[in-house]
Amino acid sequence: MIEIENVSLWYSKQTRVLFNIDACIGHGRKVVICGPSGSGKSSLLRCINGLESFQEGRILVDGISVLAKQTDIHELRAGIGMVFQHFELYPHMTVLQNITLAPVRVRRKSLADAETHARRLLERVGIQEHAANYPEELSGGQQQRVAIARALAMEPKLMLFDEPTSALDPEMIQEVLDVMTDLAKEGMTMVLVTHEMGFAREVADEIIFMDKGRILEHADTASFFDNPRHDRTRQFLSRILR
Amino acid sequence: MDVDVIVRNAPFIFGGLYLTAQLAVFAIGGGLVLGILLGAARLSRQPWLYYPVSAYVHFFRGLPLLLVIFWLYFLIPVITGRSLNEFAAAVIAFIVYEAAYFSEIVRAGIQSVSKGQRMAGLSSGLTGVQTLRHVILPQALRTMVPSLVTHSVVIFQDTSLAYVIGLREFLRRVNLVDAREARSLELYLFAGLVYFILCSAGTFTGKRLERKNRERKV
Ligand SMILES: Nc1ncnc2c1ncn2[C@@H]1O[C@H](COP(=O)(O)OP(=O)(O)OP(=O)(O)O)[C@@H](O)[C@H]1O
Ligand SMILES: [Mg+2]
Repeated sequence: MIEIENVSLWYSKQTRVLFNIDACIGHGRKVVICGPSGSGKSSLLRCINGLESFQEGRILVDGISVLAKQTDIHELRAGIGMVFQHFELYPHMTVLQNITLAPVRVRRKSLADAETHARRLLERVGIQEHAANYPEELSGGQQQRVAIARALAMEPKLMLFDEPTSALDPEMIQEVLDVMTDLAKEGMTMVLVTHEMGFAREVADEIIFMDKGRILEHADTASFFDNPRHDRTRQFLSRILR
Repeated sequence: MDVDVIVRNAPFIFGGLYLTAQLAVFAIGGGLVLGILLGAARLSRQPWLYYPVSAYVHFFRGLPLLLVIFWLYFLIPVITGRSLNEFAAAVIAFIVYEAAYFSEIVRAGIQSVSKGQRMAGLSSGLTGVQTLRHVILPQALRTMVPSLVTHSVVIFQDTSLAYVIGLREFLRRVNLVDAREARSLELYLFAGLVYFILCSAGTFTGKRLERKNRERKV
Protein backbone atom coordinates (compact mmCIF):
# COMPACT_ATOMS: atom_id res chain seq x y z
CA MET A 1 0.00 0.00 0.00
CA ILE A 2 2.85 2.41 0.82
CA GLU A 3 6.08 2.00 -1.10
CA ILE A 4 8.93 4.23 -0.01
CA GLU A 5 11.81 4.04 -2.44
CA ASN A 6 15.19 5.57 -1.73
CA VAL A 7 13.78 8.77 -0.24
CA SER A 8 16.13 11.54 0.84
CA LEU A 9 15.05 14.84 2.33
CA TRP A 10 16.93 17.91 3.38
CA TYR A 11 15.78 21.29 4.59
CA SER A 12 19.04 22.91 3.56
CA LYS A 13 22.49 21.72 2.50
CA GLN A 14 23.65 21.38 6.11
CA THR A 15 20.50 19.80 7.53
CA ARG A 16 19.89 16.58 5.74
CA VAL A 17 17.07 14.82 7.52
CA LEU A 18 16.35 11.56 5.68
CA PHE A 19 18.95 9.35 4.00
CA ASN A 20 17.86 6.84 1.36
CA ILE A 21 14.80 5.55 3.14
CA ASP A 22 13.35 2.29 1.81
CA ALA A 23 10.28 0.66 3.25
CA CYS A 24 7.16 -1.13 2.19
CA ILE A 25 3.98 -1.13 4.22
CA GLY A 26 1.27 -3.54 3.28
CA HIS A 27 -2.48 -3.05 3.29
CA GLY A 28 -4.03 -3.31 6.77
CA ARG A 29 -0.66 -3.37 8.52
CA LYS A 30 0.08 -1.48 11.73
CA VAL A 31 3.59 -0.09 11.67
CA VAL A 32 5.18 1.73 14.57
CA ILE A 33 8.09 4.06 13.91
CA CYS A 34 10.31 4.82 16.86
CA GLY A 35 13.70 6.34 17.44
CA PRO A 36 15.45 9.14 19.28
CA SER A 37 14.36 12.76 19.01
CA GLY A 38 15.42 14.41 15.76
CA SER A 39 15.85 11.13 13.92
CA GLY A 40 13.37 12.17 11.22
CA LYS A 41 10.23 10.27 12.22
CA SER A 42 7.86 13.22 11.81
CA SER A 43 9.55 14.23 8.59
CA LEU A 44 9.09 10.76 7.13
CA LEU A 45 5.44 10.75 8.12
CA ARG A 46 4.92 14.11 6.43
CA CYS A 47 6.59 12.83 3.28
CA ILE A 48 3.98 10.09 3.00
CA ASN A 49 1.12 12.54 2.49
CA GLY A 50 3.21 15.10 0.65
CA LEU A 51 3.30 17.73 3.38
CA GLU A 52 7.04 17.64 2.95
CA SER A 53 8.65 17.61 -0.50
CA PHE A 54 11.60 15.30 -0.52
CA GLN A 55 14.42 15.84 -2.99
CA GLU A 56 15.15 12.27 -4.02
CA GLY A 57 13.33 9.00 -4.41
CA ARG A 58 9.62 8.42 -4.56
CA ILE A 59 6.71 7.33 -2.44
CA LEU A 60 3.74 5.46 -3.83
CA VAL A 61 0.46 5.24 -1.96
CA ASP A 62 -1.77 2.61 -3.58
CA GLY A 63 0.41 2.95 -6.64
CA ILE A 64 0.03 6.73 -6.86
CA SER A 65 3.24 8.72 -6.67
CA VAL A 66 2.92 11.39 -3.99
CA LEU A 67 5.01 14.11 -5.57
CA ALA A 68 4.31 13.37 -9.25
CA LYS A 69 3.00 16.38 -11.18
CA GLN A 70 -0.07 14.58 -12.46
CA THR A 71 -1.11 13.45 -8.97
CA ASP A 72 -4.00 15.31 -7.37
CA ILE A 73 -2.30 15.77 -4.03
CA HIS A 74 -5.45 17.08 -2.33
CA GLU A 75 -7.40 14.02 -3.40
CA LEU A 76 -4.59 11.80 -2.15
CA ARG A 77 -4.41 13.57 1.23
CA ALA A 78 -8.17 13.40 1.59
CA GLY A 79 -7.79 9.62 1.77
CA ILE A 80 -5.03 9.73 4.38
CA GLY A 81 -5.91 10.74 7.93
CA MET A 82 -3.31 12.44 10.09
CA VAL A 83 -3.24 12.93 13.85
CA PHE A 84 -0.76 15.29 15.47
CA GLN A 85 1.06 15.50 18.76
CA HIS A 86 -0.62 18.79 19.65
CA PHE A 87 -4.05 17.80 18.29
CA GLU A 88 -4.28 20.85 16.00
CA LEU A 89 -8.02 21.17 16.38
CA TYR A 90 -9.30 24.44 14.91
CA PRO A 91 -9.80 26.62 18.00
CA HIS A 92 -12.38 28.92 16.38
CA MET A 93 -14.72 26.05 15.51
CA THR A 94 -16.85 23.77 17.62
CA VAL A 95 -16.05 20.08 17.84
CA LEU A 96 -18.75 19.35 15.26
CA GLN A 97 -17.51 22.04 12.86
CA ASN A 98 -13.96 20.71 13.23
CA ILE A 99 -15.15 17.34 12.02
CA THR A 100 -17.46 18.47 9.22
CA LEU A 101 -15.15 21.04 7.59
CA ALA A 102 -13.24 18.72 5.29
CA PRO A 103 -16.15 16.41 4.37
CA VAL A 104 -18.19 19.45 3.34
CA ARG A 105 -15.41 21.37 1.58
CA VAL A 106 -13.46 18.51 0.05
CA ARG A 107 -15.98 15.72 -0.39
CA ARG A 108 -18.83 18.15 -1.11
CA LYS A 109 -21.08 16.38 1.37
CA SER A 110 -24.18 18.20 2.54
CA LEU A 111 -23.81 19.71 6.00
CA ALA A 112 -26.64 17.54 7.32
CA ASP A 113 -25.00 14.32 6.11
CA ALA A 114 -21.63 15.42 7.42
CA GLU A 115 -23.08 16.22 10.83
CA THR A 116 -24.88 12.89 11.09
CA HIS A 117 -21.67 11.10 10.27
CA ALA A 118 -19.71 13.33 12.67
CA ARG A 119 -22.06 12.53 15.55
CA ARG A 120 -21.68 8.84 14.88
CA LEU A 121 -17.90 9.19 14.97
CA LEU A 122 -18.04 11.20 18.19
CA GLU A 123 -20.08 8.43 19.72
CA ARG A 124 -17.49 5.95 18.60
CA VAL A 125 -14.68 7.86 20.34
CA GLY A 126 -16.91 8.46 23.36
CA ILE A 127 -17.46 12.22 23.37
CA GLN A 128 -20.85 12.71 21.72
CA GLU A 129 -21.97 15.09 24.47
CA HIS A 130 -19.29 17.64 23.53
CA ALA A 131 -20.31 18.20 19.90
CA ALA A 132 -21.18 21.85 20.51
CA ASN A 133 -18.16 22.66 22.68
CA TYR A 134 -15.03 24.48 21.59
CA PRO A 135 -11.75 22.54 21.74
CA GLU A 136 -10.40 24.69 24.58
CA GLU A 137 -13.25 23.43 26.76
CA LEU A 138 -12.10 19.81 26.47
CA SER A 139 -9.31 17.91 28.17
CA GLY A 140 -6.26 16.91 26.17
CA GLY A 141 -7.42 13.32 25.87
CA GLN A 142 -10.82 14.42 24.63
CA GLN A 143 -9.26 16.80 22.13
CA GLN A 144 -7.08 14.06 20.71
CA ARG A 145 -10.10 11.79 20.35
CA VAL A 146 -11.89 14.55 18.48
CA ALA A 147 -8.84 14.87 16.25
CA ILE A 148 -9.05 11.15 15.49
CA ALA A 149 -12.77 11.47 14.74
CA ARG A 150 -11.98 14.41 12.45
CA ALA A 151 -9.50 12.32 10.51
CA LEU A 152 -11.93 9.39 10.30
CA ALA A 153 -14.67 11.65 8.92
CA MET A 154 -12.90 11.56 5.56
CA GLU A 155 -13.14 7.75 5.58
CA PRO A 156 -9.41 7.35 5.05
CA LYS A 157 -7.81 4.15 3.92
CA LEU A 158 -4.64 4.99 5.83
CA MET A 159 -4.01 6.77 9.13
CA LEU A 160 -0.80 8.49 10.18
CA PHE A 161 -0.22 9.26 13.87
CA ASP A 162 2.62 11.51 15.01
CA GLU A 163 3.19 10.96 18.74
CA PRO A 164 -0.52 11.19 19.48
CA THR A 165 -0.08 10.71 23.22
CA SER A 166 3.19 12.58 23.91
CA ALA A 167 1.48 15.83 24.87
CA LEU A 168 -1.05 14.18 27.17
CA ASP A 169 -1.14 13.91 30.93
CA PRO A 170 -0.46 10.29 31.93
CA GLU A 171 -4.02 9.62 33.05
CA MET A 172 -5.37 10.49 29.60
CA ILE A 173 -3.02 8.40 27.51
CA GLN A 174 -4.99 5.19 27.83
CA GLU A 175 -8.30 6.59 26.55
CA VAL A 176 -6.58 7.66 23.34
CA LEU A 177 -4.67 4.41 22.98
CA ASP A 178 -7.96 2.53 23.41
CA VAL A 179 -9.50 4.38 20.48
CA MET A 180 -6.43 3.59 18.40
CA THR A 181 -6.53 -0.07 19.40
CA ASP A 182 -10.17 -0.30 18.31
CA LEU A 183 -9.27 1.28 15.02
CA ALA A 184 -6.48 -1.22 14.54
CA LYS A 185 -8.85 -4.10 15.18
CA GLU A 186 -11.16 -2.82 12.46
CA GLY A 187 -8.40 -3.35 9.94
CA MET A 188 -7.23 0.20 9.30
CA THR A 189 -3.76 0.59 7.85
CA MET A 190 -1.84 2.60 10.41
CA VAL A 191 1.59 4.19 10.60
CA LEU A 192 2.33 5.44 14.08
CA VAL A 193 5.18 7.35 15.59
CA THR A 194 5.00 6.58 19.28
CA HIS A 195 7.10 5.79 22.29
CA GLU A 196 4.33 3.78 23.95
CA MET A 197 6.15 0.48 23.70
CA GLY A 198 3.47 -1.49 25.51
CA PHE A 199 0.95 -0.35 22.92
CA ALA A 200 3.42 -1.07 20.12
CA ARG A 201 4.00 -4.60 21.31
CA GLU A 202 0.29 -5.24 21.54
CA VAL A 203 -0.94 -3.59 18.35
CA ALA A 204 1.92 -3.28 15.87
CA ASP A 205 2.71 -5.85 13.20
CA GLU A 206 6.06 -4.28 12.39
CA ILE A 207 8.43 -1.81 14.01
CA ILE A 208 10.73 0.59 12.22
CA PHE A 209 13.61 1.98 14.23
CA MET A 210 15.14 5.19 12.94
CA ASP A 211 18.29 6.98 13.94
CA LYS A 212 19.88 10.08 12.41
CA GLY A 213 17.69 9.99 9.32
CA ARG A 214 18.17 6.31 8.51
CA ILE A 215 16.15 3.19 9.09
CA LEU A 216 18.38 1.00 11.26
CA GLU A 217 15.91 -1.76 11.77
CA HIS A 218 12.62 -2.82 10.25
CA ALA A 219 11.29 -6.06 11.69
CA ASP A 220 8.11 -7.69 12.86
CA THR A 221 7.18 -6.79 16.37
CA ALA A 222 8.20 -9.98 18.11
CA SER A 223 11.68 -10.17 16.65
CA PHE A 224 12.20 -6.44 17.14
CA PHE A 225 11.65 -6.69 20.87
CA ASP A 226 13.12 -10.14 21.43
CA ASN A 227 16.27 -9.96 19.39
CA PRO A 228 17.07 -6.52 18.04
CA ARG A 229 19.95 -6.71 15.62
CA HIS A 230 21.60 -3.37 16.24
CA ASP A 231 23.39 -2.07 19.30
CA ARG A 232 21.67 1.29 18.81
CA THR A 233 18.29 -0.43 18.94
CA ARG A 234 19.23 -2.30 22.09
CA GLN A 235 20.43 0.90 23.74
CA PHE A 236 17.25 2.70 22.74
CA LEU A 237 15.02 -0.09 23.96
CA SER A 238 16.80 -0.44 27.28
CA ARG A 239 16.42 3.28 27.86
CA ILE A 240 12.79 3.48 26.85
CA LEU A 241 11.66 0.28 28.55
CA ARG A 242 13.68 1.15 31.69
CA MET B 1 -16.34 82.75 21.04
CA ASP B 2 -19.07 82.56 18.47
CA VAL B 3 -20.49 79.06 18.49
CA ASP B 4 -23.27 80.21 16.24
CA VAL B 5 -20.96 80.05 13.22
CA ILE B 6 -21.04 76.25 13.55
CA VAL B 7 -24.80 76.06 13.93
CA ARG B 8 -25.31 78.32 10.93
CA ASN B 9 -23.07 76.17 8.73
CA ALA B 10 -23.98 72.80 10.23
CA PRO B 11 -25.64 71.26 7.13
CA PHE B 12 -22.65 72.17 4.98
CA ILE B 13 -20.06 70.99 7.49
CA PHE B 14 -21.83 67.77 8.39
CA GLY B 15 -22.37 67.01 4.73
CA GLY B 16 -18.58 67.00 4.58
CA LEU B 17 -18.38 64.70 7.57
CA TYR B 18 -20.67 62.28 5.75
CA LEU B 19 -18.32 62.32 2.76
CA THR B 20 -15.36 61.77 5.09
CA ALA B 21 -17.12 58.80 6.68
CA GLN B 22 -17.93 57.32 3.29
CA LEU B 23 -14.36 57.71 2.13
CA ALA B 24 -13.09 56.09 5.33
CA VAL B 25 -15.46 53.14 5.02
CA PHE B 26 -14.48 52.47 1.41
CA ALA B 27 -10.80 52.97 2.17
CA ILE B 28 -10.81 50.63 5.17
CA GLY B 29 -13.10 47.99 3.63
CA GLY B 30 -11.43 47.96 0.23
CA GLY B 31 -7.94 48.31 1.68
CA LEU B 32 -8.50 45.38 4.01
CA VAL B 33 -9.87 43.07 1.31
CA LEU B 34 -7.04 43.89 -1.07
CA GLY B 35 -4.62 43.77 1.88
CA ILE B 36 -5.70 40.22 2.73
CA LEU B 37 -5.08 39.10 -0.85
CA LEU B 38 -1.69 40.83 -0.95
CA GLY B 39 -0.70 39.61 2.52
CA ALA B 40 -1.52 36.03 1.60
CA ALA B 41 0.29 36.36 -1.73
CA ARG B 42 3.44 37.53 0.04
CA LEU B 43 3.51 34.29 1.99
CA SER B 44 3.09 32.23 -1.16
CA ARG B 45 5.95 30.11 -2.43
CA GLN B 46 5.01 30.91 -6.02
CA PRO B 47 7.64 33.33 -7.32
CA TRP B 48 5.22 34.84 -9.85
CA LEU B 49 3.00 35.88 -6.92
CA TYR B 50 5.59 36.67 -4.31
CA TYR B 51 7.89 39.00 -6.24
CA PRO B 52 5.38 41.31 -7.91
CA VAL B 53 3.33 41.64 -4.74
CA SER B 54 6.40 42.33 -2.60
CA ALA B 55 7.45 44.98 -5.11
CA TYR B 56 3.98 46.52 -4.93
CA VAL B 57 4.05 46.70 -1.14
CA HIS B 58 7.54 48.18 -0.97
CA PHE B 59 6.68 50.67 -3.68
CA PHE B 60 3.65 52.14 -1.94
CA ARG B 61 5.19 52.02 1.50
CA GLY B 62 7.97 54.20 0.16
CA LEU B 63 5.65 57.00 -0.99
CA PRO B 64 3.67 59.67 0.82
CA LEU B 65 -0.08 59.14 0.58
CA LEU B 66 -0.52 62.70 -0.64
CA LEU B 67 1.54 61.95 -3.71
CA VAL B 68 -0.42 58.80 -4.51
CA ILE B 69 -3.67 60.76 -4.34
CA PHE B 70 -2.25 63.33 -6.76
CA TRP B 71 -0.96 60.66 -9.10
CA LEU B 72 -4.20 58.79 -9.36
CA TYR B 73 -6.22 61.92 -9.83
CA PHE B 74 -4.05 63.17 -12.66
CA LEU B 75 -2.82 59.90 -14.14
CA ILE B 76 -6.02 57.92 -14.46
CA PRO B 77 -7.63 60.39 -16.88
CA VAL B 78 -4.43 60.41 -18.95
CA ILE B 79 -4.39 56.62 -19.14
CA THR B 80 -8.09 55.93 -19.56
CA GLY B 81 -9.02 59.10 -21.40
CA ARG B 82 -11.91 59.69 -19.02
CA SER B 83 -11.95 62.16 -16.20
CA LEU B 84 -12.52 60.87 -12.73
CA ASN B 85 -14.45 62.63 -10.00
CA GLU B 86 -12.55 63.55 -6.86
CA PHE B 87 -14.32 61.07 -4.65
CA ALA B 88 -13.65 58.08 -6.91
CA ALA B 89 -10.02 59.12 -7.31
CA ALA B 90 -9.61 59.46 -3.55
CA VAL B 91 -11.23 56.07 -2.87
CA ILE B 92 -8.99 54.30 -5.38
CA ALA B 93 -5.88 56.04 -4.06
CA PHE B 94 -6.67 55.11 -0.47
CA ILE B 95 -7.46 51.48 -1.29
CA VAL B 96 -4.35 51.02 -3.40
CA TYR B 97 -2.16 52.70 -0.80
CA GLU B 98 -3.62 51.35 2.42
CA ALA B 99 -3.75 47.81 1.07
CA ALA B 100 0.04 47.83 1.20
CA TYR B 101 -0.09 48.63 4.93
CA PHE B 102 -2.92 46.24 5.66
CA SER B 103 -1.03 43.48 3.86
CA GLU B 104 1.80 43.80 6.37
CA ILE B 105 -0.64 43.46 9.26
CA VAL B 106 -2.30 40.49 7.58
CA ARG B 107 1.03 38.83 6.88
CA ALA B 108 2.07 39.11 10.52
CA GLY B 109 -1.35 37.79 11.57
CA ILE B 110 -1.10 34.77 9.30
CA GLN B 111 2.41 34.04 10.56
CA SER B 112 1.16 34.13 14.13
CA VAL B 113 -1.00 31.05 13.48
CA SER B 114 0.99 27.89 14.18
CA LYS B 115 2.29 25.81 11.29
CA GLY B 116 0.49 22.80 12.72
CA GLN B 117 -2.88 24.36 11.91
CA ARG B 118 -1.90 24.65 8.27
CA MET B 119 -0.70 21.06 8.24
CA ALA B 120 -3.96 19.91 9.81
CA GLY B 121 -5.96 21.67 7.11
CA LEU B 122 -3.82 20.43 4.25
CA SER B 123 -3.65 16.88 5.57
CA SER B 124 -7.44 16.67 5.52
CA GLY B 125 -7.45 17.35 1.78
CA LEU B 126 -8.25 21.07 1.85
CA THR B 127 -6.39 23.11 -0.75
CA GLY B 128 -3.99 25.83 0.32
CA VAL B 129 -6.59 28.50 -0.38
CA GLN B 130 -9.31 26.63 1.52
CA THR B 131 -6.97 26.15 4.47
CA LEU B 132 -6.18 29.84 4.45
CA ARG B 133 -9.82 30.85 4.27
CA HIS B 134 -11.37 28.44 6.77
CA VAL B 135 -8.52 27.64 9.15
CA ILE B 136 -5.83 30.31 9.14
CA LEU B 137 -7.54 33.63 8.39
CA PRO B 138 -10.30 33.42 11.01
CA GLN B 139 -7.63 32.91 13.67
CA ALA B 140 -5.29 35.48 12.17
CA LEU B 141 -7.99 38.16 11.97
CA ARG B 142 -8.69 37.71 15.65
CA THR B 143 -5.10 38.43 16.64
CA MET B 144 -5.01 41.29 14.13
CA VAL B 145 -7.94 43.22 15.63
CA PRO B 146 -5.84 45.68 17.66
CA SER B 147 -3.54 46.61 14.78
CA LEU B 148 -6.44 46.78 12.34
CA VAL B 149 -8.34 49.18 14.57
CA THR B 150 -5.29 51.36 15.17
CA HIS B 151 -4.59 51.58 11.48
CA SER B 152 -8.23 52.21 10.61
CA VAL B 153 -8.24 55.19 12.95
CA VAL B 154 -5.15 56.52 11.19
CA ILE B 155 -6.89 56.12 7.84
CA PHE B 156 -9.89 58.01 9.14
CA GLN B 157 -7.63 60.87 10.14
CA ASP B 158 -5.80 60.78 6.83
CA THR B 159 -8.96 61.14 4.77
CA SER B 160 -8.51 64.90 5.17
CA LEU B 161 -5.60 64.63 2.72
CA ALA B 162 -8.13 64.23 -0.08
CA TYR B 163 -8.56 68.02 0.04
CA VAL B 164 -5.54 68.29 -2.29
CA ILE B 165 -7.63 67.15 -5.24
CA GLY B 166 -10.49 69.39 -4.19
CA LEU B 167 -12.66 66.88 -2.42
CA ARG B 168 -14.87 68.84 -0.05
CA GLU B 169 -14.67 66.53 2.89
CA PHE B 170 -15.12 67.58 6.50
CA LEU B 171 -11.92 69.52 7.19
CA ARG B 172 -11.97 71.16 3.78
CA ARG B 173 -15.48 72.47 4.45
CA VAL B 174 -14.48 73.79 7.85
CA ASN B 175 -11.66 75.52 6.06
CA LEU B 176 -14.05 77.01 3.49
CA VAL B 177 -16.40 78.31 6.16
CA ASP B 178 -13.45 79.92 7.91
CA ALA B 179 -12.43 81.66 4.69
CA ARG B 180 -15.89 83.15 4.48
CA GLU B 181 -16.56 83.97 8.11
CA ALA B 182 -13.09 84.36 9.64
CA ARG B 183 -13.79 82.37 12.79
CA SER B 184 -10.68 80.21 12.93
CA LEU B 185 -10.58 79.58 16.65
CA GLU B 186 -14.14 78.26 16.98
CA LEU B 187 -14.10 76.31 13.75
CA TYR B 188 -10.80 74.50 14.20
CA LEU B 189 -11.46 73.72 17.85
CA PHE B 190 -14.75 72.24 16.76
CA ALA B 191 -13.08 70.20 14.01
CA GLY B 192 -10.57 68.90 16.52
CA LEU B 193 -13.33 67.89 18.90
CA VAL B 194 -15.18 65.96 16.17
CA TYR B 195 -12.06 64.06 15.10
CA PHE B 196 -11.16 63.36 18.70
CA ILE B 197 -14.58 61.97 19.59
CA LEU B 198 -14.84 59.75 16.53
CA CYS B 199 -11.29 58.41 16.80
CA SER B 200 -11.71 57.72 20.50
CA ALA B 201 -14.92 55.87 19.79
CA GLY B 202 -13.05 53.74 17.25
CA THR B 203 -10.19 53.02 19.62
CA PHE B 204 -12.60 52.20 22.43
CA THR B 205 -14.52 49.74 20.24
CA GLY B 206 -11.23 48.12 19.29
CA LYS B 207 -10.27 47.69 22.93
CA ARG B 208 -13.62 46.07 23.67
CA LEU B 209 -13.28 43.66 20.76
CA GLU B 210 -9.80 42.79 21.95
CA ARG B 211 -11.05 42.09 25.44
CA LYS B 212 -13.90 39.94 24.14
CA ASN B 213 -11.36 37.98 22.11
CA ARG B 214 -9.23 37.29 25.11
CA GLU B 215 -12.21 36.07 27.08
CA ARG B 216 -13.16 33.66 24.30
CA LYS B 217 -9.64 32.28 24.32
CA VAL B 218 -9.59 30.97 27.91
N1 LIG C 1 10.99 22.84 8.91
C1 LIG C 1 12.22 22.46 9.25
N2 LIG C 1 13.29 23.21 8.90
C2 LIG C 1 14.53 22.86 9.23
N3 LIG C 1 14.84 21.76 9.93
C3 LIG C 1 13.85 20.97 10.33
C4 LIG C 1 12.48 21.29 10.02
N4 LIG C 1 11.70 20.31 10.53
C5 LIG C 1 12.53 19.45 11.14
N5 LIG C 1 13.82 19.82 11.01
C6 LIG C 1 14.99 19.07 11.51
O1 LIG C 1 14.93 17.79 10.97
C7 LIG C 1 15.37 16.82 11.89
C8 LIG C 1 14.35 15.73 12.02
O2 LIG C 1 13.16 16.29 12.55
P1 LIG C 1 11.87 15.42 12.85
O3 LIG C 1 10.88 16.35 13.44
O4 LIG C 1 11.49 14.68 11.63
O5 LIG C 1 12.39 14.41 13.93
P2 LIG C 1 11.57 13.48 14.91
O6 LIG C 1 12.20 12.14 14.80
O7 LIG C 1 10.12 13.58 14.61
O8 LIG C 1 11.89 14.10 16.32
P3 LIG C 1 10.95 14.24 17.60
O9 LIG C 1 10.98 12.92 18.31
O10 LIG C 1 11.65 15.30 18.40
O11 LIG C 1 9.61 14.64 17.15
C9 LIG C 1 15.63 17.56 13.18
O12 LIG C 1 17.03 17.73 13.29
C10 LIG C 1 14.96 18.88 13.01
O13 LIG C 1 15.68 19.88 13.67
MG1 LIG D 1 8.44 14.35 15.69
